[in-house]
Amino acid sequence: MATPNDDGCTLTGALSVTTEILRSITIIHGPAGCAHHNFSLLHALHASRDFAVPPPVISTDMTEKEVIFGGEHILEEAVFCAAEKRPDLICVLSTCVSAAIGDDVEAVCRIPSQVPVVHVPTAGFLGGGFLAGHIQALISLSRFARRREQVPSVNLIGEKTLEYEVDEHYREVLRLLTLLGVPVNVRFVCGVTLDEISHLGEASLNILRDPSMQPVGEHLRRELGIPYIDSFPLGLEGTLRFLDLAGRHLSIDPSAAVAAEEALQKEMIGAFTHLRRKRISFPAAPTDEYRSRFGYELADMLELEVREGGNPVPLPDPFPVGTSGIRRLLHRWRRRCHA
Amino acid sequence: MKQIALYGKGGIGKSTTSANLSAALSEQGLDVLQIGCDPKRDSTRMLMQGRLIPTVMDLVRERGDDRSLTIDDVVYRGYHGVRCVEAGGPEPGVGCAGRGIIATFQILERLGALRADVVVYDVLGDVVCGGFAMPMREGYAEEVYLVTSGELMSLYAANNICKAISRLSSRARSRCRLGGVICNAKNLPREEELVGEFAKRIGSSMVQFIPRDQVVQQAELNKKTVVEFAPSSGQAAVYRELARRIMENRRLDVPVPLDIEELEALAYGYSE
Repeated sequence: MATPNDDGCTLTGALSVTTEILRSITIIHGPAGCAHHNFSLLHALHASRDFAVPPPVISTDMTEKEVIFGGEHILEEAVFCAAEKRPDLICVLSTCVSAAIGDDVEAVCRIPSQVPVVHVPTAGFLGGGFLAGHIQALISLSRFARRREQVPSVNLIGEKTLEYEVDEHYREVLRLLTLLGVPVNVRFVCGVTLDEISHLGEASLNILRDPSMQPVGEHLRRELGIPYIDSFPLGLEGTLRFLDLAGRHLSIDPSAAVAAEEALQKEMIGAFTHLRRKRISFPAAPTDEYRSRFGYELADMLELEVREGGNPVPLPDPFPVGTSGIRRLLHRWRRRCHA
Repeated sequence: MKQIALYGKGGIGKSTTSANLSAALSEQGLDVLQIGCDPKRDSTRMLMQGRLIPTVMDLVRERGDDRSLTIDDVVYRGYHGVRCVEAGGPEPGVGCAGRGIIATFQILERLGALRADVVVYDVLGDVVCGGFAMPMREGYAEEVYLVTSGELMSLYAANNICKAISRLSSRARSRCRLGGVICNAKNLPREEELVGEFAKRIGSSMVQFIPRDQVVQQAELNKKTVVEFAPSSGQAAVYRELARRIMENRRLDVPVPLDIEELEALAYGYSE
């Protein structure tokens, strides 16, 4: 499901991936401004996640001179300088300007170097926005993974590292997988090393952040032979279905995990029964049908009355993940109802 | 000040025609500035006794900054005082030559170099991008002359350039118009008639027929324009006539490009 957040700069989408690779350097081949506005965004978001050090991003600082005469040489210099810092990986992201003048970024990235260099084509004017950059970066990085003997474990694919509550969403999925007794193999890509990425092929199931990541899921299915579930769990019923589906994919009997989660959900709902018969209203025009579906599911369960003029309650985008996400949401609803 | 631009298919003889035109104009006592707008940088070579002058883009590349450039760095005086500028550009296969033309024009504007009785822009083969349409934009050439032979591909390129003139002239403040067609002959049968008819069909006229003559080759081997090398020749007289006609030309048209079938049928009709 593409959301309005998936529009925007292709480069930002790719950076949300490459800056999550530990001990890597990202080079943006284009004007300094392309790097600057993205770096400001990443710096602010990293700070909000209590990361002390901003991500290492280098701009080739392309000017009119490079536009006219070609900019491959300054990219080569930037790759050389970055390699001297001995990172595990250098990611090279092209921009609209470098692509428009036809710089052969791929060829520069193929020049033998002591450090692996990967090119992520991210010229936004060629089509696609943030989502296209996110997908392209994941597909480009997947070349470091090989088919391996699979063990019962799960890769998390395409976590949206710039979204609010990314860590909470991860912890919820981890909790649910623990109920099934299955570990997370690789978070592709969120705070991982290149070495961890190379072990991507050892998982027996990929769980996509949401259906917009299906092109990556399909690519990994073809290249590594790993099947996928197309979304993190959303909604109460959806969370139970997720456990059931993941269990079946992993050849694990999910009934105990489902029963335990169902009990937890009942207990949680029980903690909010004082909201019964409260009048609520959803945002005037929720952009996604799925969000209002989960909202009505919750309202039915708590016997809330959804009507115009009711207490306005949020239906966030992205919708909170799993049972814990619903709990956080209900706390917010309660504050609105009692305000 | 009169600003004119010569456009046409690569190799058709634009630079030869431009250089001889500039030489002939200068003999009329006019202050002439010729600007080569092609990374090949050889537009003004025959005016400079075979010398390839430093290009504006060369200087930008060497100095890394255009703010230190002066007029004397980029403008060179050639035959009979014709002032010569070469835009230059990137090596083949890299960068963006069109942007180089735009940057050159900005530098020349800043230096106040675009002042003369006549400015002659000699532009690369086809209007491949916005950069090469720069000489047609507001404030630059108000008269475009198409240089073509009777060969179909040459007419095809000329017709394409008409599309650019037509598009640009539709802008409210644009003063760019087609001044006419120059036939630089390849000695094809009925060539003058064909190019004349082509000019008529696109809503213009043929301002000059330049016959093919060995003296052009001889002059180039001697690194001179025909006007300088063989001033009494018939060919030099033709270039002087072209200069006179262009200076007297008052007919400026918005061309109507032909569709490809029409163009092919026209060329076919004169092939027998």
